[in-house]
Amino acid sequence: MADSAAPVKVADCGCITAFGDARATHAALLRGECALRPVAVLGRDGGEAVPLALLSGRSLDETAPPEWLVAVRRLHASIPGGGWGSPGRPVFVTGSNFGVGGLYALRRTGEAAFATWGGPATCTERLRELLGWGPDVSIVSHACVSAHLGLLLASRAVAAGLAQEALVFSFDFLSAFVAGGFHALKILNSSFPSPYRVGDSGAIGLGDGAAFAVVSRGRGSWTLAGQSVYNEMHQFTSNRSDGAGFDRCLEGVAAASRGRRVWFKGHGTGTLEAGQLEVSAAGRSFPGAPVVGWKGSLGHTLGSCGLVELAIAIESVRAGRTPGTIGGAGPAMSESVARESFGNGAFDGVVCASNAFGGAHAAFLLCHA
Amino acid sequence: MTDPLTARLKQLIVETLRLEGITPEEIPDDEPLVGGGLSLDSIDALELVVRLEKEFGIKIASSEEARRALASVAALAAYIRERGDPSRLPS
Repeated sequence: MADSAAPVKVADCGCITAFGDARATHAALLRGECALRPVAVLGRDGGEAVPLALLSGRSLDETAPPEWLVAVRRLHASIPGGGWGSPGRPVFVTGSNFGVGGLYALRRTGEAAFATWGGPATCTERLRELLGWGPDVSIVSHACVSAHLGLLLASRAVAAGLAQEALVFSFDFLSAFVAGGFHALKILNSSFPSPYRVGDSGAIGLGDGAAFAVVSRGRGSWTLAGQSVYNEMHQFTSNRSDGAGFDRCLEGVAAASRGRRVWFKGHGTGTLEAGQLEVSAAGRSFPGAPVVGWKGSLGHTLGSCGLVELAIAIESVRAGRTPGTIGGAGPAMSESVARESFGNGAFDGVVCASNAFGGAHAAFLLCHA
Repeated sequence: MTDPLTARLKQLIVETLRLEGITPEEIPDDEPLVGGGLSLDSIDALELVVRLEKEFGIKIASSEEARRALASVAALAAYIRERGDPSRLPS
């Protein structure tokens, strides 16, 4: 489903990763730093050490209230303006796990305080109270394209005149429950991720992430010139082997990018099959566009990744330099994969793409207004 | 004569995944387990891997390794013979 008829603007945007805010993250990526560290997959309960990029000082173990609230408050305090959740200024909260680790802690400890943050609805309601939002708050959760969907819905609300501006707020903080789930699937293991690298086996890393974007009809320096989402409904954890799902999604923004020179910020978690399918599809829809992926450093920030990486992409354009793909060694899956950072002054836009379990795909084209 | 490990694996597949309308004997040795005639998906594969790791003392490190191991019943049997705890193999 492409949505290129009614471009809107990103007025404000920011993120928090293991490196800090968008500027600090961008600078660290330019230096080629890796935020991932080996951490016991079940936190205090041990298990295999897997690559995780946790916020500074944070452990994987659950607390009530969650310690990640500090980061959420800090991020929220950086959002210009106010009155969010009031008529004309809706909030779209996006994520894939919310406080689900709290439910695991509840089951193990029996402490009722963990339940408050466990589910999307209760977690969002508590955030709404703490952050002072009004009642106009929607929850959008669709695995790792959650942030893209929130952005699309917010854009539509603004474009249709249903909102003056909309806040998309996204977060995903790791827990033993989430890390353990990916570990059980064998895609999170002791290996560090090597996005878009040829190899015998792939692996991902996971990271904490939170981000926001304010979508506006008139204000802002960045235009969302095209947005696209597509779900191939193929299979729970894999994609059609011919890459048709990637193509269908990217074709939706390729039309909007015609005549522009773009670079491509891919999903690039480090899995082999999806990495190859993505980079091939990017080559078909955006021939010659350099492809970068940052999850080899930041880890996969799951439902927040679309907004986290939007904030870094904007910082890249502001600074005039795009960080290269970080992680691993060996030949790349395509010569379009950029390993080194590059100047982006000669480009007219960036395509940001994310993919998710269930064969879900999302992408948008971001241009300087 | 049926190989005991192969027979046990087929039994495990039917039990673990609660397959209905199929007996262990009807599962072919060389047909792909995931994406083949059994219509198993990746969540089935996950359940099966967890059971196999417990029963045979193996450790499958990555999704690609799991995919290779689950290529067929015959491939799975070979994988377990090579990497499993010999004391846990059926005789």
